[in-house]
Amino acid sequence: MASAEQLAPFQHIEVQLRGGAPWGFTLKGGLEHGEPLVITKIEEGGKAAQSRKLRVGDELVNISGSTVYGSRQEALVLIKGSYRTLNMVVRR
Amino acid sequence: MSQVIQITSTSTSTVQYSNGYEQDEYMMQEEEWDRDLLLDPAWEKQQRKTFTAWCNSHLRKAGTQIENIEEDFRNGLKLMLLLEVISGERLPKPDRGKMRFHKIANVNKALDFITSKGVKLVSIGAEEIVDGNVKMTLGMIWTIILRFAIQDISVEETSAKEGLLLWCQRKTAPYRNVNVQNFHVSWKDGLAFSALIHRHRPDLLDFHSLKDDPLGNLNLALEIAEKHLDIPKMLDAEDIVNTPKPDERAIMTYVSCFYHAFAGAEQAETAANRICKVLGVNQENEKLMEEYEKLASELLEWIRRTTPWLENRTPEKTMAAMQAKLEDFRDYRRLHKPPKVQEKCQLEINFNTLQTKLRISNRPAFMPSEGKMVSDIASAWQGLEQAEKGYEEWLLNEIRRLERLDHLAEKFRQKAITHETWAQGKEQILSQKDYESATLTEVRALLRKHEAFESDLAAHQDRVEQIAAIAQELNELDYHAVAAVNERCQKICDLWDQLGTLTQKRREALERTEKLLETIDQLFLEFAKRAAPFNNWMEGAMEDLQDMFIVHSIEEIQNLISAHEQFKSTLPEADGERQAILGIHSEVQKISQSYGLKTSLSNPYSTISPEEVLAKWDKVKQLVPQRDSSLQEELARQHANERLRRQFASQANLIGPWIQTRMEEIGRSAVEMNGTLEDQMTQLKQYEHVIVNYKPNIDHLEGDHQLIQESLIFDNKHTNYTMEHIRVGWELLLTTIARTINEIETQILTRDAKGISQEQMNEFRSSFNHFDRKKKGGMETDEFRACLISMGYDLGEVEFARIMSLVDPNGTGVVSFQSFIDFMTRETGDSDTAEQVVASFRILAGDKPYILAEELRRELPVDQAEYCISRMPAYRGPGAVPGALDYTSFSTALYGESDL
Repeated sequence: MASAEQLAPFQHIEVQLRGGAPWGFTLKGGLEHGEPLVITKIEEGGKAAQSRKLRVGDELVNISGSTVYGSRQEALVLIKGSYRTLNMVVRR
Repeated sequence: MSQVIQITSTSTSTVQYSNGYEQDEYMMQEEEWDRDLLLDPAWEKQQRKTFTAWCNSHLRKAGTQIENIEEDFRNGLKLMLLLEVISGERLPKPDRGKMRFHKIANVNKALDFITSKGVKLVSIGAEEIVDGNVKMTLGMIWTIILRFAIQDISVEETSAKEGLLLWCQRKTAPYRNVNVQNFHVSWKDGLAFSALIHRHRPDLLDFHSLKDDPLGNLNLALEIAEKHLDIPKMLDAEDIVNTPKPDERAIMTYVSCFYHAFAGAEQAETAANRICKVLGVNQENEKLMEEYEKLASELLEWIRRTTPWLENRTPEKTMAAMQAKLEDFRDYRRLHKPPKVQEKCQLEINFNTLQTKLRISNRPAFMPSEGKMVSDIASAWQGLEQAEKGYEEWLLNEIRRLERLDHLAEKFRQKAITHETWAQGKEQILSQKDYESATLTEVRALLRKHEAFESDLAAHQDRVEQIAAIAQELNELDYHAVAAVNERCQKICDLWDQLGTLTQKRREALERTEKLLETIDQLFLEFAKRAAPFNNWMEGAMEDLQDMFIVHSIEEIQNLISAHEQFKSTLPEADGERQAILGIHSEVQKISQSYGLKTSLSNPYSTISPEEVLAKWDKVKQLVPQRDSSLQEELARQHANERLRRQFASQANLIGPWIQTRMEEIGRSAVEMNGTLEDQMTQLKQYEHVIVNYKPNIDHLEGDHQLIQESLIFDNKHTNYTMEHIRVGWELLLTTIARTINEIETQILTRDAKGISQEQMNEFRSSFNHFDRKKKGGMETDEFRACLISMGYDLGEVEFARIMSLVDPNGTGVVSFQSFIDFMTRETGDSDTAEQVVASFRILAGDKPYILAEELRRELPVDQAEYCISRMPAYRGPGAVPGALDYTSFSTALYGESDL
């Protein structure tokens, strides 16, 4: 069985969440921890869950048009910076 | 002989003349005689008178007369005399005798004479005459009269009786009242006679004063005739008037006298005229002859004068003069000759006319005087014409010649001028010595120019020849100014020869110079060809000799040394080349000097000067020993280096493996599960101690290495171990031992924390070792997957990926034993999650959603509390108070989670 990395290439998914914080998902990892920046939890009934596009394990690569290089602090800043609408691109 | 006398009878009542008198032929006369022997008495009377008077008019010239016509002729003597007188000829001598037969003979002589004059005497015999027959005698006299006085009358081609009649008619034609139709009644009124007289001699009577008085007129006429015309009265006026028809014969006879008188006078006149004419003709002829002679003389004189002029063939010098001559000739032809032609013609005509006239007038032909004969004139004229023709030809030829000469002279002049102009200055040009200081290309250019000049010269050869030809022709044609022409021609030819010589000389000089310059050029080229590579070689050599070498081995330096030795061995050859090259240059100098070339001898092919060559060579020579010494130095250095290398190597070769051994030991220790972790730890610590104590060796090696580095030694074949290797190895060793110790420590911790027993640990270890097929101390992805599977994990790809991300967050592709244990223990053991930490904080916060700094300080060690305080964001949730800290987000953040 081939390694996961060698399997299908990454899918990139664009997601737009509306309505403002809280968005209803949890980010974990990041460059600071030496881990990829992934969504570890999606709150039921939250806006993330309502979008039906996000899944646990999705890695965040782009927030509000800015490419994220894995830094969680950076991602937090970008997310918190968004007001009513949050545009994201994740990959899985 | 018999004669027939025809007597015709006439009736007096009617004036009819049926006699044959109109015909008046001899034959007729015969008929007349034959008819009748009767003679009208009136007529007889008249005839007697008339005939007698007539005979007397003739006989008186002989000095005799007759009185009785039938008597006086009987003896024939007077008859013969009469005949002699009227004919002018001599009859045979009469017989002097009185006998009858003498008389008959004489009469016969007379009759014979008459017959000899062409008269046919019919029925007239001598005997009747001798016998005194009146009728016969009258008839005979009439015959004589007819024959000698009337027969020869010829008037306008009418002769005898008709002629006489015609003459009368002609002469009396102007007189209106005179109409002569016959020889009888027409004469009765006497006007006819008067008219005749008046016609010829108007001085003798005034015709117009005559009245109608026949008798008077007749008498007048008779009188005048006798007195002035010497015509005796042969008629009786009364008889004529009274007779109705007078006797024709008598009238005829008398009229014939008039005829003869006037005609005679006329004849005399004619004769006189003739004489005059003849004389006149003579005179005329003579005049003509004179004229001829004169004309001939003149003409001949003219010819004599003109011919030499035409024969004069002295040429004139100029066309104008010749043309003047031609003009003269034309004048001659147009003006002077034609009259002369005319004259000649005239002369000929005159001559012919003269001759004709002379011939006609029975004169001897005209014989012109000596030299004036027709033939003389003709030949002179011919001569003239020939001379003329010749002259004209000559004139035209001369003119042509002069024209040609003028043309030629002009042509000569023009060609000479053209040529002289062209030749101007050529001598100077050809004598130039410009090639002495010219370069090769310049000389070549000069040669080209010279070639062009030579062909120009060749082209002009033609012209010079033409000029000479023209001069020749001028000579042949005897041009008057030919001397000047010849002189000029000579000058031109001399100059031409001169030019030829100079051209040749110049060509030779140019070619020679070219050759020399070419040789020099070749030499220069050779020089360039050899100097350039030699120069390059020298420069290369200089470079090489000065080359900074960096060698790192003895071999290298030895190579350099041997190369240098090789190079040194080539020096003699090079020197030879140098000499050769310099020799070329001196060759050039030599040539230039010996041939006196003044050109600047710069080598167009090369910028390298011999001096440069020499200088470089010296430099090279200089550099060689320098290099020798530096090479030797280097060699020594290399040797030293080698020593250092060996030193290092020997060291390194010890240290390297030692480290390796230690590494293996450590590895083994980590892998093998001998004893407890503590035991492992102890062993590792021991290793550590050994290692630490080994450090001086490393330092020493470092020292050697420094030396080596300072000596710029970069390689060492005596050992495979570089300092870096050793260093790295050493570091690695240190790290490894530390890490391994750490790992063991961690494992101890983990074991303690997670309550994993040694057996578990060993289990984990053996699994890990098992799947770490490559024994690297870390599993690869496949191995890990296999491992998980072996442990009963049934994983989907996504899940596995997640796990991988947890286990190998850096994506190194290697799962370390530690991560593996973490993963294993995480799944099986408790783990502090973010929630748990949050819960812990909540407890500390007394169930508040926030915590206060003082609470943190109270519960946690100082530095951790400060850490929290500084890191926790302010709590902004419901019920927030100043100084409230949000421990939730802090915790999640700790765990690397952020809730958003």
